[in-house]
Amino acid sequence: MAVELTPQRIPGRVCALARPPAVLILPAALFLTVFFLVPLLLVAWTSISEPQLGLGNFRDFFASDYDIAVLLRTLRAALTVTLCSLLAGYPLAYVAARSGAVLGQALLTVVALSFWTSFLVRTYAWMVILGVKGPIAALAVALGAPPPRLLFTTFAATLAMTHMLLPFMVLTLYAAMKRIDEVTMRAAASLGARPWRAFLAVYLPQSLPGIVSGSTLVFITSLGFYVTPQLIGSPTDKMIAGRIGQEIEQLLDFGAASATSLILLATAVALFIVYNRFFGLERIWR
Amino acid sequence: MSKTRLRLSRRGLVKLLTAGALALPAVRRARAAEVLYVNTWGGPWEEAARAHLFTPFTAATGIEIRTISPVSFAKLAAQVRTGAYEFDVTTLGVAELGRASQANLVDAYDASKIPASSLWPGAVTLNGINSHAFANIITYRREKFPNGGPQSWAEFWDTAKFPGPRCLQNYAGRVLAFALMADGVEPGKLFPYDLDRGFRSLDRIKKDIRVWWSQSPQSQQLIRDGEVDLIGMWNTSAQQLVDQNVPVELVFNQAVIDVATWVVARGTPRAKNAWRFIEFAIAPERLAKFAQQNNYGPMNPGAFKFLTPEVVRRMPTAPDNLAKAVVLDAEKLLPELDTMAKRFERWLSS
Repeated sequence: MAVELTPQRIPGRVCALARPPAVLILPAALFLTVFFLVPLLLVAWTSISEPQLGLGNFRDFFASDYDIAVLLRTLRAALTVTLCSLLAGYPLAYVAARSGAVLGQALLTVVALSFWTSFLVRTYAWMVILGVKGPIAALAVALGAPPPRLLFTTFAATLAMTHMLLPFMVLTLYAAMKRIDEVTMRAAASLGARPWRAFLAVYLPQSLPGIVSGSTLVFITSLGFYVTPQLIGSPTDKMIAGRIGQEIEQLLDFGAASATSLILLATAVALFIVYNRFFGLERIWR
Repeated sequence: MSKTRLRLSRRGLVKLLTAGALALPAVRRARAAEVLYVNTWGGPWEEAARAHLFTPFTAATGIEIRTISPVSFAKLAAQVRTGAYEFDVTTLGVAELGRASQANLVDAYDASKIPASSLWPGAVTLNGINSHAFANIITYRREKFPNGGPQSWAEFWDTAKFPGPRCLQNYAGRVLAFALMADGVEPGKLFPYDLDRGFRSLDRIKKDIRVWWSQSPQSQQLIRDGEVDLIGMWNTSAQQLVDQNVPVELVFNQAVIDVATWVVARGTPRAKNAWRFIEFAIAPERLAKFAQQNNYGPMNPGAFKFLTPEVVRRMPTAPDNLAKAVVLDAEKLLPELDTMAKRFERWLSS
């Protein structure tokens, strides 16, 4: 018995016990199969079998200007949110990564704090802030200007979504930036590069993997946003998740809703594939 | 040898525990033999229903009531499709009732389920039992219109006379009734809707509708915080604002009355108790108490015996209010529900 437990050396390979046994992925695989893969297949089946067998739901989607417009609007909104969170998140992550441990940790804690508040609560908070009785309106009135119309606009939805997804961006960027060797910046300086030049030529290219990972995460997450655009966005800005909700809740059209969901999924997967082709999927988590 | 036996018994223990854990739900079922699952609107609705309908029902029959909220029409459809029932009974508005009966989602009514003696003429619509009415009314902020706000939908549409941001519900079946009345259609000639005319009328007001509400707390928040000056909302939630001293005025003229009907999810194994519950819930005195708490209008005429005139005045089905109102006609709206909903969605985003 005892002999069997001793790790055996296989010539030319690593120790057999060092390789994790395949059985370890079984719980996760089982969970995903039962709660993700099977439902997904059911959705796929619904999309081609209701109301009748065939690709009618997909044909309808791509033949409808309205549905195409919703999809394009969703992609555009996701892109805007990604750019905004990159612009806001990059300097923050940069300061957190390059400053001392105390300030860096403090900044990251503040960013992570907003993770602990639910999306819905944060949406309502924005309602208060942007509302007619909110601080912005009060400031405008104090300055003698009419209170601006902020709520129920594309701006409000973009702002709130950027705020919600900022932590994803900052934490991903921070992880990438922490891997950048500070010595390279000092080397640039010693070779006569001014800070801006050193940043553009040395730091920025090295932080590129973080930018790509963070942007992909934010972009794909914002594709599926439902509550925020619904509650504080402009009534004419229907997003694809809201469209799916309506197809089910109001039209009871399970076939069309399934098709729309699959088109959204396919869009996200296509983006992941492009990303993986150029940057490697596993880098997101590094 | 002894080691093997130990391992076996350990395994046996695990097996026993697993079997026990798996059997737990059955044990629980056995103890509370009879349960009815009711889909509720949550909030004040559920409080009133619990006090006046659920608890007395359990006391009278021993059947426990568990609630699921919020009311989800899609869930009703999903349950019938999958055969897995999360709730047995729910309430539907007129338009949902129409769609549910088109999609064959509700259990058919016959006299064996609720005896005619417990009902009244017109109690059953499309297999739903009419329970209580709520009105979609004009509500405005008093300080914005000190000389009185709009008294009809035509005035609600009149942005020159009554300027200010407005809000309506994201709900085609009700909004089109407002739009047609605003365009001068006689309340008596509303159904079925003239969709082209309705949408033309909606075009005129679109840019002044800042937001379309979808949940009743949202409608309250919008007018309470002054995000909008005028709103089309439910009399029940508007009356709550009055009770909270929010300076709003309620206009019952041209109210669009929708009726909540009890329905049983088709195919549920607990249908018998579900019908029993409905019969219990529409009994005059109980319905009166339930309706009074949230200013619903009871549909059972017998209920009014148990209500004071002062309470009745706040209800949408009070004779004075009803005379000025229109009641949504489920049967006449049925054929156009689908087109209407799709067209409305597109119109909103255009």
